[in-house]
Amino acid sequence: MASLTGYATVSMILFSLGAIGVVSRRNVFIIYMSIELMLNGINLFLVTFARYHFNMDGQILSIMVIAIAAAEAAIFLSVIILLFKTKKSLDTNVFTELKQETE
Amino acid sequence: MTDLVFLALSFFAIAGGVTMLLHKNPIYCALGLLISILSVAGLFALLSATFMFMVQIIVYAGAIMTIILFILMFLNIREEDLPEEPRKGMLITLGVIFMIPINLLILEGVGRLPNSDMSIVEEGFGGIKELGMKLYTDWLLPFELISILLLVALIGAVVLVNKRVKRGVK
Repeated sequence: MASLTGYATVSMILFSLGAIGVVSRRNVFIIYMSIELMLNGINLFLVTFARYHFNMDGQILSIMVIAIAAAEAAIFLSVIILLFKTKKSLDTNVFTELKQETE
Repeated sequence: MTDLVFLALSFFAIAGGVTMLLHKNPIYCALGLLISILSVAGLFALLSATFMFMVQIIVYAGAIMTIILFILMFLNIREEDLPEEPRKGMLITLGVIFMIPINLLILEGVGRLPNSDMSIVEEGFGGIKELGMKLYTDWLLPFELISILLLVALIGAVVLVNKRVKRGVK
């Protein structure tokens, strides 16, 4: 059970759940959490292969991924606050600030 | 014993992810993600990555999830602010149909690798000492670049928040 294939299955399922969440939900918060879930799945994959090859480079890469996720959290959440303040909504379809107005 | 713990942790990880995917209220979604993250931390421990286990709990479950929950409560989101999702079920079904072949492909590739011992290593692997030695010798440049990235993100967040305060004053 707790073999390479088992861990790979769990991490691929987590990654797929995150990817499906990004495309199917319309709440910005849930899209952000889905991205976090995808990063978690990839982290699990990296750590699994670090153990498989008995080499710690994979673990260091996943520390880098966690650092990038922390930086992303700071920026993403402050942007969400600004968008919610101006639009009063969490719907992704409302956020069309950059869309060009066509006559 | 290891198999039992692995099964329980993977069940909770996947159940948390499914909760996050299906629930409408973002607070319950955040709690599902929290369960998923903690279970992944447990899987890290089973893979004898003790330092990663700690970092996952402290940074993900401690810092990032706390910020998400804090902002969810700070924004005071009511039921009518939540977006309507009439095509959610259809999109999820389509996503599942689309993701299954990719997963099968990767699992086919992983299954062909020679089997190796994945049991827990007692010492000398994944601890803070070994990881620190590796991080500060082989991976020194990426480590410094990541620290610059974190600094830039911090400054960016402060600038964005500052803009909001100015608008409020005017």
